[in-house]
Amino acid sequence: MTGKEEAYDIRSILGQMREEYWQALSEEEVQAREVLECLVFTLGGERFAFETQHACEVIRVPKLIRVPAVQTLIAGIFNLRGEITAAMDIRPMLGLAQPEIGAGGRVVVVKSEQFATGILVEAAHGVQGLCCDGFEPAMAGGAKRFVRGHFNEQDGSIILLDMEALLAAPEIVVGEG
Amino acid sequence: MGSRYLEIFCREAEEHLASLQSGLLVLERNPERSSLLHELLRNAHTLKGSARMVGLSDISAITHTMEEQLKGMERGERQVDADAIDLLLKGADAVALITSALLRGEVPELDVERFVAEYDRGELTRPAAADTREAAAEQQSETVRANVKTLDHLVNLIGEMIINKKRLEAKLLTLKEIAASLPTDQAQALTLFRRDLEEDVLYQDYLIQELHEKAMALRMLPLRSISDGFERLVRDLAQQLGKEVRLQIAGHGIEMDRVLLEGLKPMLIHLLTNAVCHGIEPPHERTAAGKPREGVVSLSARHEGRSVIVEVADDGKGMDPARIRAAALAKGVIDPREAEAMGDEEALYLTFRPGFSTAEIVTDISGRGVGMDVVKRNIERVKGNITLTSEKGSFSRVTLQLPLTLSVIEALLIRCGGEDFAVPLNYVQEILKVRPDEITVLGANEVIKVRGVTTPLYSLAAMLELPRQMKSSATLAVIVLKLADQRMACLVDAHLGSSEVVVKGLGKQFRSVRFLFGATIMGDGNPALILNVPDLFSAAANDGRRATRSGAELDEERRFKVLVVDDSITTRTMEQSILLTQGYDVVTAVSGEDALQKCADEEFDLIISDVEMPGINGFELTRNLRESERYREIPIIIVSSLSRDEDKRQALQSGAQAYIVKGAFDQGMLLETVQMLIG
Repeated sequence: MTGKEEAYDIRSILGQMREEYWQALSEEEVQAREVLECLVFTLGGERFAFETQHACEVIRVPKLIRVPAVQTLIAGIFNLRGEITAAMDIRPMLGLAQPEIGAGGRVVVVKSEQFATGILVEAAHGVQGLCCDGFEPAMAGGAKRFVRGHFNEQDGSIILLDMEALLAAPEIVVGEG
Repeated sequence: MGSRYLEIFCREAEEHLASLQSGLLVLERNPERSSLLHELLRNAHTLKGSARMVGLSDISAITHTMEEQLKGMERGERQVDADAIDLLLKGADAVALITSALLRGEVPELDVERFVAEYDRGELTRPAAADTREAAAEQQSETVRANVKTLDHLVNLIGEMIINKKRLEAKLLTLKEIAASLPTDQAQALTLFRRDLEEDVLYQDYLIQELHEKAMALRMLPLRSISDGFERLVRDLAQQLGKEVRLQIAGHGIEMDRVLLEGLKPMLIHLLTNAVCHGIEPPHERTAAGKPREGVVSLSARHEGRSVIVEVADDGKGMDPARIRAAALAKGVIDPREAEAMGDEEALYLTFRPGFSTAEIVTDISGRGVGMDVVKRNIERVKGNITLTSEKGSFSRVTLQLPLTLSVIEALLIRCGGEDFAVPLNYVQEILKVRPDEITVLGANEVIKVRGVTTPLYSLAAMLELPRQMKSSATLAVIVLKLADQRMACLVDAHLGSSEVVVKGLGKQFRSVRFLFGATIMGDGNPALILNVPDLFSAAANDGRRATRSGAELDEERRFKVLVVDDSITTRTMEQSILLTQGYDVVTAVSGEDALQKCADEEFDLIISDVEMPGINGFELTRNLRESERYREIPIIIVSSLSRDEDKRQALQSGAQAYIVKGAFDQGMLLETVQMLIG
């Protein structure tokens, strides 16, 4: 088939275009299913992640003001552009060790339907597309609350947090119950 | 008819109805003042005309009959009596009912034709169920309606601007340092630039202050905006109870935060209801007691410092401490031992305890209302304070002390457990420095004497479960807190002065937080928590974490530096040695000029000065120091041989905290004054 003939066969061109269009669409879908955009960070020496849709921003650890007579989970409050925001150390909730949060430490600001809150992390590694092929869901009824499973990445595993469940957990609210 | 016109009409109608109502109530008390009729007539007439303009025939029909009645009264053809006024009030109510229904977009539930017919025959028995109080609330809107949230946001942003301005000021200082490190020729241009910039920052500071004031003013409304319905309330209640009561309102124009006013309204209604139902006696009892038949209930508002004082008082039978004590005992609110130990004043406050009500007969009016305990709780919620005064047989008075606004409060800043906290100033009775030997143990408690009154002492850090600071000094910083009739002293790390702070909520993650009611953002951009004083009192009452201090906490550490200014070497040396023995660091100056120089070079915690000296005198020195940022708040004691009141007045006017006459001069006096001021 020469290029000249092809040029005149408007039907086949249109057909080809349609084909390409559909193919592109399905490719996109496949891609969406395969990779999960996640914010990756370190907690208790392990790598954790959650979907970017929950994350607002990542900031350096500001001066935290201790709040008297509240659960130890609340590390303190800080000023997030005029809004008083809590910073939580969620590591005990996940059964993790609590190494000191040093210069690399960050506060990941997440937003639930009710409020914005900060999560103290030992380090933040930015947004990464995690491959769903390597995802192993946690066993149903497993002991680990707030964990949906883990990704097997080339450089080790990354645990996927159930941020929705975490933000809905009553223990993160002060004065609940 | 367009809804825009309807809204405009309804606003106008509210105004006319409000003045109709208040005018009618005045007329009822002074039926002979026929000049009032004219004003009422004008209101009714305008209302009728406007209603016609927008095609509201129901309202124009009602107002027409009202107008006719008023005309008859003006011509003297109709009686000006309670019945006639009742009728007119019912007419006004009916109009209010229609307008408020229209505003809500509903069809008014009123058979106007029948209403008008009955009105004309003067046989309106069933009151038109109009909620005039609601109408009065609607009247608050002036020209523009703004969401309180939007206003809060505005104030929030201005707060951010203030913080940002502080950053700019810090940058200016850096710029100064940079200029200083450059060679002169290069530095000159930079210095000029810096001065320019400094002026700009200064101007911005001024603008921000103005803006802040204006934004705050947006949230303010006068008391009048909620009190309009009260006269009617008192009148109706009194009529129902067969009492004669007059309501006096003073301070209509006092402005308060809109949110605060809205919260205040139900409490005032409750207090007024209480005053009419339980305070004022029936006329025959009053005459028997030699009082005028008519009782007076007064509602007054006034400014006092940074707060608003709202008082509800009545000249009725007063509160009987004995009866209250007995009732509390009978209801098991207190036990017999408590009852015995309780003073009369204290007994009055029993009425605040949950589950307490002294009314022997539960009336349908006040019986179903909120109790005094709820009033107290609500007042505390808005960071207010409540006090009771009463004399059996003559009066009772409830005084509410409220902040001007909820978004900015005057607070004492303190340090405790390594953190800074703000304490609303209206709960602070005083700040003190106490020596460890002034603390005595009484039973299981530690107490101190505050103006001769034994006051329990607690460690604030322990109450808040914060780590104790090891910092210690010869004297301990103490704040004395007050809540209604209670007092408590709290040990803190340090007093940091008072300041106006912007109140911010802690957000929804903090559903209820013990000890706190919010936070504020300090100049450095970091938050500080605002303490909820009522919580501290209840914590003290419950488990009382006492001020058990570690030994180290008592040990001496920071030494205060005092500057002694006197041209006489004798006085200088005397004062110096007295202060040195008490562990103060002392620097002396021989004249006012010398003192100014020394003040510029180093920082002092306190200054003691003579008056008559060569060069500038002590008053001028004080004035001079007060003008500088650094010494604006530093305590100054004037020690002088001048003993005339005029001199004392002048000393205080110049900004001195204390005045000691040399003749009466003794060691103890000086030390006591110094310790009172700095510790």
